Amino acid sequence: MKRIIYFIIASIAASSCTERIDIKLDETFTRLVVEGKITDDSTEHTVTLTRTTSYFYNQPAPRVEGAQVSLSDEENVFHLTETKAGVYKTEKMAGIIGRTYTLNIELAEEINGHSSYTATDKMMPVGVIDSIKLHYIDQWEVWEIRLFAQEPPTTDFYMFNWSKNGKLVTDTIDEVNVSDDKFFNGSYSNGIGVGWFQEEREDERLHPGDLVTLIMSTITEKYANFVWEIQDETGYNSPLFSGPPANVSSNISNGALGYFAAYPNRYASTIVGSEK
Amino acid sequence: MLLVVVGMFWQTGARADNKEISNKKTISGHIKDAESGEDLIGATIYVDEIQSGTVTNLYGFYSISLEPGKYTLRFSYVGYQIVEKEINLKQNISLNIELHPVRKELEEVVITGEAKNTNVTKAEMSVTRMDVKTIKQIPALMGEVDVIKAIQLLPGVQTAAEGSSGFSVRGGSIDQNLILLDEAVVYNPSHLMGFFSVFNNDAIKDVKLYKGDIPAAYGGRLSSLLDVRMKDGNMKRFSGTGGIGTISSRFTFEGPLEKDKASFLISGRRTYADIFLAFSNDEELQGNKIYFYDLNAKVNYNINENNRIYASFYYGKDIFKNDDFGIGWGNETETIRWNHLFSKKLFSNFTLIRSVFDYYLGIPEGEANSFRWDATLRDYSLKADFNYYPNSHNKIKFGLISTFHNFQPGSAVGLGAASFFTAYSVPKNYALESGIYLNNEQSIGKRWKLKYGLRFSLFNNIGKGTIYNYNNEFVKIDSTVYPSGEIFNTYSGLEPRLGITYLLNEKSSVKASYSRNYQYIHLASNSTAGTPLDVWFPSSPNIKPQIGDQFALGYFRNFRGNTIETSVEAYYKFNQHAIDFKDHAELLLNKEFEGELRFGEAWSYGLEFLVEMQFEKLNGWVGYTLSKSMRKIPEINFGKEYQSPYDRPHDISLVLNYQINKRWLLGANWVYMTGQPVTFPTGRFEYGNLIAPVYSNRNEYRLPDYHRLDLSVTLKGKEKPGRKWHSEWNFSVYNAYGRKNPWVINFEQEPDAPSKTFAESTYLFGIVPSITYNFHF
Repeated sequence: MKRIIYFIIASIAASSCTERIDIKLDETFTRLVVEGKITDDSTEHTVTLTRTTSYFYNQPAPRVEGAQVSLSDEENVFHLTETKAGVYKTEKMAGIIGRTYTLNIELAEEINGHSSYTATDKMMPVGVIDSIKLHYIDQWEVWEIRLFAQEPPTTDFYMFNWSKNGKLVTDTIDEVNVSDDKFFNGSYSNGIGVGWFQEEREDERLHPGDLVTLIMSTITEKYANFVWEIQDETGYNSPLFSGPPANVSSNISNGALGYFAAYPNRYASTIVGSEK
Repeated sequence: MLLVVVGMFWQTGARADNKEISNKKTISGHIKDAESGEDLIGATIYVDEIQSGTVTNLYGFYSISLEPGKYTLRFSYVGYQIVEKEINLKQNISLNIELHPVRKELEEVVITGEAKNTNVTKAEMSVTRMDVKTIKQIPALMGEVDVIKAIQLLPGVQTAAEGSSGFSVRGGSIDQNLILLDEAVVYNPSHLMGFFSVFNNDAIKDVKLYKGDIPAAYGGRLSSLLDVRMKDGNMKRFSGTGGIGTISSRFTFEGPLEKDKASFLISGRRTYADIFLAFSNDEELQGNKIYFYDLNAKVNYNINENNRIYASFYYGKDIFKNDDFGIGWGNETETIRWNHLFSKKLFSNFTLIRSVFDYYLGIPEGEANSFRWDATLRDYSLKADFNYYPNSHNKIKFGLISTFHNFQPGSAVGLGAASFFTAYSVPKNYALESGIYLNNEQSIGKRWKLKYGLRFSLFNNIGKGTIYNYNNEFVKIDSTVYPSGEIFNTYSGLEPRLGITYLLNEKSSVKASYSRNYQYIHLASNSTAGTPLDVWFPSSPNIKPQIGDQFALGYFRNFRGNTIETSVEAYYKFNQHAIDFKDHAELLLNKEFEGELRFGEAWSYGLEFLVEMQFEKLNGWVGYTLSKSMRKIPEINFGKEYQSPYDRPHDISLVLNYQINKRWLLGANWVYMTGQPVTFPTGRFEYGNLIAPVYSNRNEYRLPDYHRLDLSVTLKGKEKPGRKWHSEWNFSVYNAYGRKNPWVINFEQEPDAPSKTFAESTYLFGIVPSITYNFHF
């Protein structure tokens, strides 16, 4: 449904004009920003610590170095090592479905009056992907990944990422597809479109023989809201459909921004055929 | 308060009875246009001997009771020739009067209706009546003259957003306007995302906007009443009106079914498809269908002197679709009215109304994502209104109305076997909204005029209904299902309406008013501009009715034989249980949307200056408003007060028409407004390879100021005696100096250098020229 609304906005935008303008903006106080996740893949899981800046800062966000970062589930504590400035990694390990993970951060220097920050998230159970298929949609000039899977009767939130030849296409958070099951709870997915490769973009264009992979994750409602909010606040804002701008939520304590998420990944792949 | 009002009625009644004994006789009748037989609303009857008079009601009816004797009566209406009658009043008489419109080209032979000082003397304030003729002279976007765009040029009325049909009156929300078309509520007055309104000018007779001081006969909205009346249809002869414009064509045909007894009117308008999209370079966009149409129809029948019936109908739809999806929305209204005279002094009107607003959105059958989403609001109303004219000093109105609301806020269902969507419905609900009122307009001596009334409103939620119960954090705990027919929740309110006018002299007066209104149904829309995806919802155990109090004080002064009318009005409004929405609210297709609402208070105040000119060649007005509109809601903006989206401290509008000669007419309007309050980022953070904003407090910034000039030239075809066909060409330019007024400012990342962010303004219109050909026969 959102796509339709976007389409309407797009058609109004097409008949209107845009122009870059200079605006003077005040600067608010600095906050810690956390981007962290743990999945059930056996890998080194990463937590990145940065700071907020003024809006027209025009450089990568300043990193927060020298912090003590640890992750715990109900049984173990994992200490993270700073591998690059502000980038903290676990040893190779896999998260376990059903466990609640807690992230603890001790900063070397206070930000906004706090040096200790914490966040928790639960790794939700995930369903089984039967298969995926590719389908070319002329009108939109996109390849659609169609999903075949049984949706369980519980209330679930999904995040879909997809890759081409092992390279993630949804590498910015506004490209991932997050959906609740409100409109299809408990049904068979029947080939609903969950991911899209845009023909006009060089890095997404598919050729025969390309390997396409869909990554399906079950996420918590809070994280789903976070992703929707960040997508809304970074997407095109129009007086017709957008509500008033509002800050993106967070699950980090003490007023820090960002999110620490725990979720499982399920993979399904297919090879691009010779015909569209 | 109540006692005072009742006391005054009692006194009035008593005095009326005393006078009754003194043998007063009544003159009553209808005042009509001599050429079309249309009733004239608000025409003046002036009795020289008592230096007082009355005006016709919404059905052109008047009644005045006087001691027996000889009188000179003057009947007048702006733009019409005056009629004088000498009367020897011995018994009750019926006197129907037909007034002839003034034609410019005949000027030298007739006495024109002199400008009146009714704006000074009337016991009402904060009201503007707009002539359809005036509206037609205002330059318009794409030449599409529009009632709503015209009233947005009045002081105290703000456009919700560029091009929008949504409007805010004295800082109120866009859902606080009661918009009536022949008494039926029009829930969404916009076409094509709001660029045009649903009112087809050719089918309209009279438009009146109450910015406060809403008559006791009306209720249910806090901010304003926009009362639009359709033409009744020509009683004398068949005639047609039409136009071919840049984006639409329209045609109206009207005439007698039986001369001077029954008439009809039928009117249609349709846009040419794809007007905006055709300009697009994108072929995909060109493949889309986008259009709207309107149909108005009306019949009326004079059964006899004491009975008349009217039936009116409106149907309008917007369609926006291609092979992959479609969206459509529209209003439908039907009104059946019966005017009945119980006596020369007691006029009544009984009304049956049906009003529907609905929309759908969908993807056609055959795909996994095929679905259809529908939402509907249906109203059925019964209304009885009485006007009682006991004597020349009092005009009593009373009546009642009851409306049954049937809300279907939204249901979506998968289409076809391939669809993967299951059904999802927001529960339907039902409500009954009723009101009973009594009001008197009383003149005391030559200088004082009082208007006092009371409305009692009652609201019932009726089963079958599902109500979700929420905790203090607005999280759903459980739900309660009420059986069919059960009244499970009731609200009621006493709404006093008071007005006082003191005439300083013939040319100036001071007026004051107070009114309280209750609003029981509200609009769930986060959009400032207004979208077709409106969800109206009733008050419920979770949602209290909104209550609005308004105080106003005004000074009215006319100059140069009433050709210049000026006024200054000050107002203060306070709104209890004001509704706003939580951050990132989800209002569409959400069973628990009541949990997305937040309640607090809103207030606004302002000063409105208006100068209206009505000269031989030049007419128009200049308005200036200085105002403030604020809200405070505990869960929004950290509980601090914030500027409402309609807060526009300075607002100037200038509307001028200049008649060069019999054939050429120039029109110009210029508007200036402080920019709309907005929330801008005051910081940013990185997440998921994206830069996200950290915002200022709500509405702490403003868009750049808005200003725009529109121009038009009308060239009338040559008039020849006996020629029936009259035509004119209208050339207009919207936004004549090409001001790039920001519609929205977005903050974006540089695609090639993602760390760089910039601000981008979207403006909707450059210079928009248009040509319209209008005809009339």
